[in-house]
Amino acid sequence: MVDAMRTQRWLRAAVGTLALAAIVFNATAIIVTEGQTALVTRFGRPIRTAANAGLHWKLPWPIDSAIRLDMRRRVYETGLTEMLTRDKKNVIARTFVVWRIGDPLTFTQALGNEGAAGGKLDGLLANAAIGILGGHDLSALVSTNPSDLQMDAIESELLSSTAPVAMRSYGVAIEQIRLNRIALPEQNVSAVFDQMRAERRQFAARFQAEGDREASRIRSEAQLEAARIRAKGAEEEARIRGESAAQVARTYADAHRIDPDLYRFTRSLESLDKLVTGNATLILRTDSEPFSLLQSKDKP
Amino acid sequence: MRKSGPPSEIGRLAAPVAALLDAAWQHMHWWVAAMAVLYLLSGITIVRSDEVALILRWGRLVGDRPGLQQHGPGLLFSFPRPIDRVVRVPVRHVWEVPVDTLASMGNGMSFDPVMQGYALTGDQNIVHVNMMARYRVRDPAEWAFYGPRAEDVLRVEITAAMVRSLGEMGVDRVLSDGRRELVATAARRAQAGLDAAHAGLEITSLELTRLAPPTILASDFDAVQSAFIGAETAKKEAQAFAETAIPEAQTWADSAVQTARADSAAETSEAIGASEAFLALAKEYRANPVVVRERLYRNAVETAIGHAGGVRWIPPPIGGSYHGLRITIGPRSSQPKSGLDPDEGGDEGR
Repeated sequence: MVDAMRTQRWLRAAVGTLALAAIVFNATAIIVTEGQTALVTRFGRPIRTAANAGLHWKLPWPIDSAIRLDMRRRVYETGLTEMLTRDKKNVIARTFVVWRIGDPLTFTQALGNEGAAGGKLDGLLANAAIGILGGHDLSALVSTNPSDLQMDAIESELLSSTAPVAMRSYGVAIEQIRLNRIALPEQNVSAVFDQMRAERRQFAARFQAEGDREASRIRSEAQLEAARIRAKGAEEEARIRGESAAQVARTYADAHRIDPDLYRFTRSLESLDKLVTGNATLILRTDSEPFSLLQSKDKP
Repeated sequence: MRKSGPPSEIGRLAAPVAALLDAAWQHMHWWVAAMAVLYLLSGITIVRSDEVALILRWGRLVGDRPGLQQHGPGLLFSFPRPIDRVVRVPVRHVWEVPVDTLASMGNGMSFDPVMQGYALTGDQNIVHVNMMARYRVRDPAEWAFYGPRAEDVLRVEITAAMVRSLGEMGVDRVLSDGRRELVATAARRAQAGLDAAHAGLEITSLELTRLAPPTILASDFDAVQSAFIGAETAKKEAQAFAETAIPEAQTWADSAVQTARADSAAETSEAIGASEAFLALAKEYRANPVVVRERLYRNAVETAIGHAGGVRWIPPPIGGSYHGLRITIGPRSSQPKSGLDPDEGGDEGR
């Protein structure tokens, strides 16, 4: 019974000590997580910034207080701003910035919260965009000629003209500025449509003409090639036949040279054979061989 | 066991609270012990198959490099809060986000940039673009602690990349063979922007779900497309003609040459054969000229008589010549194969 009461007393003391330690820890410790910063104030006056993630200490409230700030990067997209380019063309542009809290103290004092940053950045960026785009032609933004495009330079100019001001005035570190919309005022769009229609008609006519021309070229070349192939074939055929005729003539000549008289005789007989056909009528003397036998007095 | 003697003032005031705690402890100590165990076990985390886990100890990321910071799927043991905090990041999951900032809105008749999304091409034409991006977490620490919200930064970076990529290409290229290049360029630029923004994200694919000129110009673009298709058809027909005509010519030429070669071979063989026959005949002729000549002559005459359409016989001339001989040859069908016709014979002509 005595041991149980002693154990109970110890446990009670341990629980009490733990509870007290938790209260003291909660009042004095600042756990700064990754992506956060804590601004420590003493009676409302900022005294230091706990920028690194980890465990930091402060005096308990109401002496010290910690204001936690989210240091993550944020995206802010400005409104559409109409401006005049150097070549006097109206364009409407929109930019976005990637920013974070660069100076927690200045940010807290100048803006207080994230929502207030948007309005300040909007005005800052709009002014910068109007000034900078006014120094470039529209072709610096959109062009099929790569040498005309100057988007990198424009975005760099926007960054260099706004980032120092944003940091100095609002404690905002602008890390990236990009143009994410380039449009035309509504009243100018109809002129663009007219231009597009004219281009389409021109393209349609050009496609048709080019197609016809190309088709004609292909056909002509094919016909020419076919004729060339046929001519070459005919030439080869003639050469073969000529050589063959010469060879045949040579062969016959070599043979017939042996007995020209016999050749003439056999050739005459061959001619007779070829010439006497079903359309021919032979006129023979009755005393010609072999029918002369019928009239012969020397019958067997 | 409590100290004996008269209780102090504080002890007297706290006595009811202590008694209450004693009574509660009597009934609750097992529960308290169980809660303590559960608290200690709360440091155990299950990391799923598509996740990695990061441990923050007193708020600081544990590990100096990504390999040590990231803990793979399975059971992860850590201290309970507030010492450790475990952040699970689904690194293998692929998300989709539609990007419609440059898409056509409403009936397509208004072109107020506030209401209507579109982009300008390099030749200052207007196109509408709908996109679908797929992405995943590439750097869990940046995504979890330092990067901007994924959907916010993806939408603006992809839009900016597409505006810029469209702004350097002509509308015809964009709408025809340049789409792949357009998408590749925009995806590359968007990824560079995400990296610069420390978003910790990777674009796994970017698709154009729609890329079209304004509806009001659709018929004009269709006309160009029709002309293009017509031109391509004409070219293909011409190519088909060429692909037929040239092989035909080649076939004709090959056939002519082969026929000539065959004829040549036949004629040559025939000539050789005939020559050899002639030489053999000549040999016999030299040995028996009269007999051979007579035989050849008679064979030829017999053959000629056999082949002839008709044969007319006339008597030998009287006195060595014919005077007033007249031979009438009628139509073939009426002619006998051979024989003497007395009416047309030599008697009449004599």
